[in-house]
Amino acid sequence: MRCLSFALTAAVALAAGPAPALHAQDPGRIQLDTFSLANGLKVVLSPDRSTQVVAVNVWYDVGARNEQPGRTGFAHLFEHMMFQGSANVPKGGHMAQVEQAGGSLNGSTQDDRTNYFQTLPSNRYNMGLWLEAERMRSLAVTQANFENQRETVKEERRLRFENQPYVLSFLRGVTAPFDPNTCFAYAHELIGSMDDLNAAKVEDVQAFFKMYYAPNNATLTLVGDFDPAEARRLIQQYFSDIPRGTAPPPVSCESKFNAGPRRETVTDAKATLPALLHVYMIPEYKHRDHAALELLSTILGSGQSSRMNRAIAREARAALATQIGLDVTGPHRGPSTLLALAIANQGVTPDSLDRLMTKEIDKLAADGVTEEELTKAKNSRRASQIFGMERANATAEAIQTANMYLGSPAAVNTDLQRYMSITRDDIKRVAQQYLRRDNSTVILIKPPEGPRP
Amino acid sequence: MSRTLRISSGSLVAAALLLLPALAGAQSPTRAPAPAPVKPAALPAFQEATLPNGLRLMLVESRRQPVVSIALMIPAGDSYDPVGKEGLAGMAANVLTKGAGTRTAEQVAATIEGVGGQLFAASGPDFLTVRSSVLATNAPLAFELVGDAVARPTFAAKEVDLSRTQAASALQLEQSNPAALAQRYFAAQLYGQHPYGRRPSATTVRSLTADDLRAFQRTRLVPGGALLVIAGDITMTRARELALRHMGQWSGAAPAGTTRPAPPVRDRTEIVLVHRAGSVQSNIVVGNLTYRPADPRAYALTVANKILGGGTEGRLFATLREKRGWTYGANSSAPRNRDIGALIATAEVRNAVTDSALVELLAIERSLGSTRVPQAELENNRGALVGSLPLQLETAQGIAEQVGRFTMLGLPRDYIRTLRPRLAAVTAADVQSAARDLIRPDRALVVVVGDGSQIYDKLARIAPTRIISTQGDPMQPSDLVQRAAASLPVDATRLVAHSDSFVVLIQGMPQGYQTTSLAKGPAGYSYRTATFLAGGMVQQSGEASFTLELRPTAVKSSGKVQGQPTSTDLAYAGGRVKGSSVSMAAGGSKTTAIDTTVAPTVIDDNMLTALLPGLRWAPDAKFTFDTFDASSGTVRAAQLSVTGTETVTVPAGTFPAYRVEVTGMTQAVTMFVTTAAPHRLVKIAPVGAPVEFVLAK
Repeated sequence: MRCLSFALTAAVALAAGPAPALHAQDPGRIQLDTFSLANGLKVVLSPDRSTQVVAVNVWYDVGARNEQPGRTGFAHLFEHMMFQGSANVPKGGHMAQVEQAGGSLNGSTQDDRTNYFQTLPSNRYNMGLWLEAERMRSLAVTQANFENQRETVKEERRLRFENQPYVLSFLRGVTAPFDPNTCFAYAHELIGSMDDLNAAKVEDVQAFFKMYYAPNNATLTLVGDFDPAEARRLIQQYFSDIPRGTAPPPVSCESKFNAGPRRETVTDAKATLPALLHVYMIPEYKHRDHAALELLSTILGSGQSSRMNRAIAREARAALATQIGLDVTGPHRGPSTLLALAIANQGVTPDSLDRLMTKEIDKLAADGVTEEELTKAKNSRRASQIFGMERANATAEAIQTANMYLGSPAAVNTDLQRYMSITRDDIKRVAQQYLRRDNSTVILIKPPEGPRP
Repeated sequence: MSRTLRISSGSLVAAALLLLPALAGAQSPTRAPAPAPVKPAALPAFQEATLPNGLRLMLVESRRQPVVSIALMIPAGDSYDPVGKEGLAGMAANVLTKGAGTRTAEQVAATIEGVGGQLFAASGPDFLTVRSSVLATNAPLAFELVGDAVARPTFAAKEVDLSRTQAASALQLEQSNPAALAQRYFAAQLYGQHPYGRRPSATTVRSLTADDLRAFQRTRLVPGGALLVIAGDITMTRARELALRHMGQWSGAAPAGTTRPAPPVRDRTEIVLVHRAGSVQSNIVVGNLTYRPADPRAYALTVANKILGGGTEGRLFATLREKRGWTYGANSSAPRNRDIGALIATAEVRNAVTDSALVELLAIERSLGSTRVPQAELENNRGALVGSLPLQLETAQGIAEQVGRFTMLGLPRDYIRTLRPRLAAVTAADVQSAARDLIRPDRALVVVVGDGSQIYDKLARIAPTRIISTQGDPMQPSDLVQRAAASLPVDATRLVAHSDSFVVLIQGMPQGYQTTSLAKGPAGYSYRTATFLAGGMVQQSGEASFTLELRPTAVKSSGKVQGQPTSTDLAYAGGRVKGSSVSMAAGGSKTTAIDTTVAPTVIDDNMLTALLPGLRWAPDAKFTFDTFDASSGTVRAAQLSVTGTETVTVPAGTFPAYRVEVTGMTQAVTMFVTTAAPHRLVKIAPVGAPVEFVLAK
């Protein structure tokens, strides 16, 4: 019965209203000092003495994109393995020590990268650095830990993905436009296959750790209240004896835009209503068009007053729910996808839903968006970035994102401009260029056939 | 070990640093490095002003980011509600942001969202607070919306009615929530005639009208005595100007204070047993009054409280759960209120060990006052408290909240600045001394909500015990009657494999769906549900397994609500249920560890709807049964009552159906089950919310 309380938290619809004008205002400039250790660890220091916390944030350049056929799911497995202890830290000790210091921590896996971070009061950041060095140096990748976490991951897959309607289909959508022969990186699913995980041996996992969880494959970012000279000294002390690893093999992805319209039908074992998923191929994160596409997706599909929700769910009552997602499994250094999902209302055929979705998208491509819509989307973007920057770890994430996807940490200070300079013509142009039939994979998600009592 | 040093391209500084390890001989230590000294919290100096109408302004100016967060705090909290109108401040806070000035509720919401900002209002025991956070360029809007809310609220009939319905329903639920009952009676007994002891009831809330709200707004939402805290990127000149423009016309002197009756003083421990027939668990609340907010012993007591019951590291949890296995949750808190605060410990325990758990709890409290806390334990707990403060002050909103609260509680200007060093300086002797003074197990109030027929005798041996009913009426021991364990009389031959799908309507609009399916195999049944709402904002799926004799064996579910993961993982075996659940709670998610006995006839909440077709439905049917709820980790006595027959039209068709009220579970719901067999569930609606699940197929 608890499911009903979920419904309660999701209630209340809002009507759209006028948005005030957009004013130019910049977020505070982020200070940056970048260097590398001899073993290849890239370090970005961003001191900010106006706060009293420090975010210790590590990105490993490893994600689903680095996996090979037959060995999928390793990147995600590591998100769990990293808390299992190291030479001088007992199992669960990393988390316990951060919490006893009054801090908070987490981590996540995406297609292109895996991150681990903690926010600590500034007098404890030395411990945060030490803990990250510990697991980078000597994580306990043992048979017991591996088997234990493999089971956890399998259970997570069963409950979170397999047992949920539309989730596996959605993840299929993210990978559908890519050809496994020319872009295995993005053509397979982040969660990995159960068969691959079952067939994996602890030696494979140890090799993966050695290759990818090496200092030359990591960027450590520190944001907040620390003395840069002391931070440098501590980083040297804790990290410099970790041996450099072999440079990981490069990842390549060849993928064509406008490869002709494709249609697929998938049966979703948990679905009882059909759904339509439009998948469009879009350029990499750093491409100028990507920023325009992000604003476009807000206008098209974000929230109650979005175009798709208003036209398709509320007015036509053709969809139970509509959703737009872009870079759903993280930003890419390579082609990526924009997804538009609509779940058909009772009695609505998938074809008619498909026509309605296409009509909304074509309309936007033909007529563009209003100034008010663009302003609201920019306001929302700017506000979320600026509020984010109040927090040390959100700033660290922004720096890491700029470093990995925009070419250098310094890009974090110019990133907002990418969005604020987008015009209505830009929005119209990217809609016409990317949200077109011959650049789409349309996936019809069907409930299973079968007798119903 | 030789090493090849490669000088990476770049600065001389980098090159010099690469030589450091050789020079200093430094290596990574084998233990975590020691903490550096704690710094006092560094906040900019507070700037203050008072407007002609008496409104105090306090500004913490910071250029860190171009954001502004304001919090208007008015001494108009719940403790000012007139007798008989309890719930007034809470309802007012709820409706203030639903239409004010020239804007309707929808327009207020669209306006604040259109600029990427936030606006909310809430009431606590002492204060009613309206807050808004915006980008600095939108500061005028924040002042306008907050000013409108307190000075020019609309109190539209539609919004008042909706708020009243929701509040009344929530209170009705409380009757079947033993933890809420325990808090209610504890407050009433602890504070006596003092207004902190009063709580809203369904009756008082239903009596509230829009006129009451308007009178409240006129007399209590006044600038005299109120504080507007502003934090962020704005000057005092500008803040003052905006406050004058949007709150300057707001008028009213602080209402005359009334003397409040003093709470009772206790000279010995007393137990008040709230008899709840059929409870298989007891909710224990133990505590005493402490001090006014500015008491210098607060630092030591804060540390003592953390050691006593600060989460899974606290002594209460470690002993009552880890060591004894008597509970899955026990903790303590030391809330501060303007008049007088309290120290409160809580635990939920099985009937059979209620008395032992209470004795042990009191002993743990006593030991804090009689024995010095070991150094390591002191440092861990002190460290967590000292460490977490700066994380609360990262944002302008966090600063406004903390500064506002401490100022309105009458704490000195330098309170936040000196908090960390003062906490860090608390010694084991200080903890012991504060515990002796302020944690008083021998002069405590104990409230236990539970089945008196199981626990009264043993409790009465610990301390003098009075009994009251869940309605608050006095009872005699002879009134306690044993209730046999209740179970649902399900005819299993009527449970056949099937699947159903429901559309979820929120305010009449389809916003998602839920599917349910029952499968039957040689070992038992598997009942699966999946829910998907609001474009993915809410997703959940689960499976409940039970035997052919309808005993639960396992329940698993997982999902997300607005990005927060939730899950349940329970195994039933040998008369026990073990596992954990992660559910939504105010301020994030709450993990409940579960390990408790369950009687053989207890079902799991998640099974209920699967069993409905097997009940003997009739116009006067009433079923009482015990069911286990994972989010609280307790067994509840629930009821299904048929209250009428109606014709119900849903997408799947039109059906004559019994209207069934479900009470005693986490959520009160109304269900509609077809009168004809097979008895299908055609509609469910939670009480007090505009949500319905209607059968589609």
